[in-house]
Amino acid sequence: MSAAPDPHPTPASRPDRAVLSLKGVKKHFPIREGAFQRVTGWVRAVDGVSFDIRPGETVGLVGESGCGKSTLGRCVSGLTDVTAGGVYFDLPAEASRLLDNIASGTATDAEKARVAQIEAAHRIDRLQGAGYKRFRRNCQMVFQDSFASLNPRHLVVDIVGRSLRVYKEASGTELTERVVELLEQVGMGRQHLYRYPHQFSGGQRQRISIARALATNPDVIILDEPTSALDVSVQAQILNLLSDLQKQHNLAYLFITHDLSVVRHMADRLVVMYLGKVSEAGVTSDVFDAPHHPYTRALMEAKPDIEGAASEQAQGLDGVVPDPARPPRGCRFHTRCHMATPSCGWEVDDVIRRLEDIPGLFDALSGVERKSDFAASLTFGDAAAAERLVSILDSDGIPAAMRSAMGRLERRDRTVSVAFDEVPDVDLRITEPGRVASCVLSPIEVFQGVNE
Amino acid sequence: MMGHLETDMADAVRTAPATVASVRDLKVHFAAKRGVVHAVDGVSFDIRDGETLGLVGETGCGKSVTGRSFLRLLPVPPGILAGGSVTFRPHALCEDCDGAGCDACGCTGRKAVVCPSCRGQGCATCDGTGAETIDLLKIDTETLRKLRGDRVAMIFQDPGKALNPTLTIGQQVAEVFLQHRTDELIELAGLSPETGGALRRFARQDHRFGDGILLSLPPFRGQRRRIQAALDKMVARALAETQVPNPASLMDRYPHELSGGMRQRVMIAQALACNPDLLIADEPTTALDVTVEARILELIRDLQMRRRSSVLYISHDLSLVRRICDRVAVMYAGRVVEIGPTAEVFRNPRHPYTRGLLAAVPTADTPRGGLAAIKGTVPELVDPPAACRFAGRCRHETEACRRFDPTLEPVSETHAVACFIDHPAPEGDQPSFERITE
Amino acid sequence: MVDLPSPTQPGTIDAIAPESARRVRLRRFKELAAKVLSNPATVLGFVIIFAMLFMAIFAPWLVAPNVPDPYQMPRDWAATRMPPGTPGHPLGTTNEGGDVFYGVVWGTRMSLQLSLIVVFSTVVIGSIIGSLAAYFGGKVDEFLMRVVDVFLSIPELIFALAIAAILGPSFGNIMFALIVVFWVKYARIMRARVIQIKGSEYIDAARIIGDSNINIYLRDILPNSFTPVMVQATLDMGNVVLIAATLSFIGLGQAGIAEWGVLVSEGQAGIASGRWWASTFPGLMIFLWALAFNLVGDGLRDALDPRTEGR
Repeated sequence: MSAAPDPHPTPASRPDRAVLSLKGVKKHFPIREGAFQRVTGWVRAVDGVSFDIRPGETVGLVGESGCGKSTLGRCVSGLTDVTAGGVYFDLPAEASRLLDNIASGTATDAEKARVAQIEAAHRIDRLQGAGYKRFRRNCQMVFQDSFASLNPRHLVVDIVGRSLRVYKEASGTELTERVVELLEQVGMGRQHLYRYPHQFSGGQRQRISIARALATNPDVIILDEPTSALDVSVQAQILNLLSDLQKQHNLAYLFITHDLSVVRHMADRLVVMYLGKVSEAGVTSDVFDAPHHPYTRALMEAKPDIEGAASEQAQGLDGVVPDPARPPRGCRFHTRCHMATPSCGWEVDDVIRRLEDIPGLFDALSGVERKSDFAASLTFGDAAAAERLVSILDSDGIPAAMRSAMGRLERRDRTVSVAFDEVPDVDLRITEPGRVASCVLSPIEVFQGVNE
Repeated sequence: MMGHLETDMADAVRTAPATVASVRDLKVHFAAKRGVVHAVDGVSFDIRDGETLGLVGETGCGKSVTGRSFLRLLPVPPGILAGGSVTFRPHALCEDCDGAGCDACGCTGRKAVVCPSCRGQGCATCDGTGAETIDLLKIDTETLRKLRGDRVAMIFQDPGKALNPTLTIGQQVAEVFLQHRTDELIELAGLSPETGGALRRFARQDHRFGDGILLSLPPFRGQRRRIQAALDKMVARALAETQVPNPASLMDRYPHELSGGMRQRVMIAQALACNPDLLIADEPTTALDVTVEARILELIRDLQMRRRSSVLYISHDLSLVRRICDRVAVMYAGRVVEIGPTAEVFRNPRHPYTRGLLAAVPTADTPRGGLAAIKGTVPELVDPPAACRFAGRCRHETEACRRFDPTLEPVSETHAVACFIDHPAPEGDQPSFERITE
Repeated sequence: MVDLPSPTQPGTIDAIAPESARRVRLRRFKELAAKVLSNPATVLGFVIIFAMLFMAIFAPWLVAPNVPDPYQMPRDWAATRMPPGTPGHPLGTTNEGGDVFYGVVWGTRMSLQLSLIVVFSTVVIGSIIGSLAAYFGGKVDEFLMRVVDVFLSIPELIFALAIAAILGPSFGNIMFALIVVFWVKYARIMRARVIQIKGSEYIDAARIIGDSNINIYLRDILPNSFTPVMVQATLDMGNVVLIAATLSFIGLGQAGIAEWGVLVSEGQAGIASGRWWASTFPGLMIFLWALAFNLVGDGLRDALDPRTEGR
C-alpha cells in the first residue's frame, strides 16, 4: 500500500539474522518489606528464557496468568530492563553462535574479545544514539487494553502520527495524508482522523493501536494479548488484519496470548511458558500434534474445542501455581504434573505444598532444620505428631513418585528427618530437530501419559 | 380425605410441563443520553427441569441483563423492566422417593410445588399447569429475597468482587444458611423445633438489641454454641462438595487470601448450599486460566447432575457452551435469534449470525488470514427500527430483512430460529444461504 | 476491508462535515463548558466572579485612585464615622475617615492580585516538586514527601500566622506566608496523579514509539494530571483571600491599606456602638469571594471528574 520506498533496509532481506534474539533473559522483581523497604526476596517472573524471532515469522508465547509471558514481552520491547541475560536486536547468526559459546563456556579468547563489540551493536539496553533509534523504530508493540493504551486526550491523527512527528518525517498536510494512508491499511479512513479514542468500539481502537505501531515501519511487533478483550467476531477481523499486514510488510510478530486456538491459528512457532521458564518450544503444528511436555499436554486437553467430539472430558490441573519467589526445584511443573517421576526434583518444600491443608498436622511443629533444598528435619512437640507425619509420608497421602524420590524418612523420637534424592534442575533439551522441552520424560512417554 | 386429595394433586403435577422457568417477551430498557436503549427486546425461552441452557452472544447482546433480571438485579434506574415475565416454578423434594428418584418425579428426586390457589387442578395463576408459578418480576421484594440464594442462585464472573472482603469465607457461606435454613439449623443443633426468641433470631441472622447479652448468659450460651457448631458443620459440608482441599481451614480465610479458582469454588458452594432449583452462572470461568476453568466446569456439571438443578449458563465462549450445555440460545442485539439442542445448533446452525460466530473461531484447518469475520459492528440499540437486527451485517440479507422483523419460529420440533431464510418473508425477496449479497 | 459505521451520529450532517483538529477540540471545549454551566450554582459563582473582576479592572473609574498610592485608604478627616448613604461616601466611612466604598472596590483589586500571585506560585512550585518526586521516585520521592508531610502536619492558619508574625506585618509578607503554606497540597496532588499516569499503558505506548521523556511529560502526563490541580487552584483562589483576611484581621496586615481584612479589623471596634457598616461591607465581599470560587471549584470538580471525563 505504501508507495514510498522503504528508507530503512530491514533485516528481512538478510534471513541469516534474528530480528530479536533472547539469550537467557531473566527478570526478577524485588520483594520489599518493613519500614526501610529492605529487599527480602525476589519474584522470579522470568527466569532464563532464550529464543529467536526471525524476520517475517510469528512466534507465539503462551502460558497461564502469572507465567511471566507479559513481563517477558515488556523486556523484549525494552520497556523493562532485564535482570540478567540480554535481548538482542538484528543479531547475525554468527554473532548469535558466538554469544552461545560464551554462555556455554566454550568460547575462545578471540571470541571473548568481540563480545563487548557485539553487545554495543545489538543488545537493546546497550544501544546508543542511532542504533537505539533504529531498534526503537523497528520494534513496536500493541497492548491488550486498547482503551488504556491510547491517550484519552489525543485525537487519532495525533496518536497515529506521533512517531512521524518524533522522527521528523512529516508534518502538516503531509502528516495527515500519511496518517490517512496508515488508517486505510487497518481498514479505517479519513473520517476517523479527528476523533477521540472513546468514540470508537474496542475493535476499532485496536485497529488504531495497530496503525500506530505500523507508522514507524517496524520489523517486529510485540502483540500482548491483542484480541483477548474482543468478541470472537471482532477478534476474527483483527487476526485477519494482522495476517494481511504481516504478508504485506514482512513483519515478525511475537504473539503473546493465553488462547490456544488463536495461537495455533497465528503462530509459526510456539513457546510455552510455565512459572518463568520455557517448558516447551517448537513448530506450532508439531507441538499441537504431539506435545513433549506434560504441561503443554494439560493445557491442550483443558482447552474447550469448537470442533471434534463434544463430550471430550477436559482434565484440568489440580493445585495452584507455586510461588514464583520460591519456585520448585527440578522441573517447575512437577508439583502439579500428572506424569511426575521420582527424578522430577522432589524437595522438602513439597512436603508443605502437599500437606499443609491437612488439619492439625503441623500444629505441634516446634522446629525446622533445613539442610538443603532436598533434606530437612522437622521437630514436633510430641512423638505422636511426628509419627502422624511419617505415616502420611509413607502412604498414598502423597504421590507415589514423591514417595519413591524420598531417599530417607526416619523418626527419632520427636524429630522427623526427610531427605529426597538430589537431582539437577531440568533444563531444556532437544527432543526432536527443532523442538525443545524441559521434561525428564521422552516424547513417547509424554504421549502415552505414563504414571497416571 | 386428605390422602385422596394429595393423590389428585400429584396426578395433576405429574402432567405439568417440565420447565423450571420461562421467560416470555422480556424487555429491559436503559435510559441513555441519546434515547432508550433496548438492551433486551422481547426475549423468550424456557429452562427445562435439570437441563443446562447456554445463553451465548457477544458483548452488549443482553445475555447478562437477561440473566440478572431473574433476580431483578438491575440498576433501577436507569435499567427499566419494560415488559414481559420471568416465571419460576419452585420445586421440592419428591415425597414418594425422598429424593432418590422414582417414576413420579421422573427420576429427578424433585417435583414442582403444587399451585396453592388451585391445589394442582390448574387455574389462571399457574397457567393451568397445577404447579406453583411465580412471576419473578412481579413478586414483592420480601418474597424475592426468600427465593434468592435458596431456590434461585447466581454465580458471577468475578468472584473477587462478589465476595465481601471483610468477612471470612465461613461467615459468607453461613449467611445463606442463616437466611434460608433456620429450621434445619435448629434441628441439627439438637434443639426443639419450637425454639424461639433470641436463639431463633440468632439462627436467622435477625439480631435485636439485647440479644447479645441474653445469649451470653448460661442456659442460652451453650445452645448458641450448639447452633454455631451446627452452622459450621453445614458450611464445611457445603464447601467440601466443591472439592476444596481443607474446608475447615478455608472457613477462617478471607477472600483475598485465595486464588481465583478457589474463590469461584467458594461462590459455587455458596450458590449451591441450599440446593437451588435454578442456578444462573454468568461467565463463571471467564477470569480463570484454562486448566482451572476445566476443573470448575467439571465441578458445576458434576454438582448439577447430582442435585438435578437447572442451570442457565451465560457465556461468550461457544466452545465452552458446546462442551457443557444441553441446549443453547444464541442472543444477538437484545434478541434470541436461535435456540435448540446444542448438538443440533452446532451441527446445523440455521441463523447467519450463529454461522458467522462459529466460523469466526479459529480452528486447526482455518488458513491464516482466512477467518470468516462478521463485517461491521453490533448496532446501537437506541430505538431500533422494525427490521432484522442482523441486517447490515448479514451476507444473505434481502430487502425483506431490512423492512420486516423476523420472529423466533420453529424449524424442527426442538430447534427455532428468527430468520427469513427458514420462514417465508412477508413480502419481497426470500433470503437464502445460497444467495450472498455483498 | 470491513466497513466500519461511524460511531458518532451516523447519518447526520456531522458525520460528513469536513473536520479539523481545531474544530474538534473547540467542540470538545464547548461541550465541557456546557457541562460546567449546566449547574446553576456554578453559574452563580461565575456571575459573582465576573462582577468582582469587573470591579477590580475598572476600580480607577469607579472611585478615583488615591494619590500617590492607590492601595492606601484615602482619609477624609472631615467625615469620620459617617453612615452609608452620606454624599461622597455611599457605604459610609470608618473611624479614621476611610471611605468604605473605596476599600471595597480597591480591596477587590488587592484580593485578585493576592490570590493570583499566591495560587500561580503555589501551583508552579507544587507541580514541579510533585512531578520531580513522582518522576525520580525512590530516595528523592521519599525526602520530598517527608518535607511535605512536615508542612501538612501544621494547621494552615497557624503556620501562615507564625511566618507572617516573624516577618512582620506587611501585605507582601502575608503573600509569602501563604505561598509557603499552600504549595504542599499541589505537590501531593501532582505526585499522586503523575505516578498514576506514569503507570498507564499510553505512556508505555509513547515510550515504545521512542518519544523523549520531556515530550512524554508535556504531551501525556501533564495534560492528564492537570484536572485535579485546576480544581484545587480554583478552590484556593477563595481560600487564600479568606486566610489573608484572617491574618490582616488579627493585625498582621499592613495598617491603612485598602484590604478587606484590614477594613473589617478597623471597623470591628465600632460594631458595639452601632456602626456596623465599616466591617459588614468588606466582610460581605470576603464571603462572596470565597463562596464564588468554591461554587465554581465544586462545579469544575463534578464536570471534570476523571471517572466520567472523556467517556
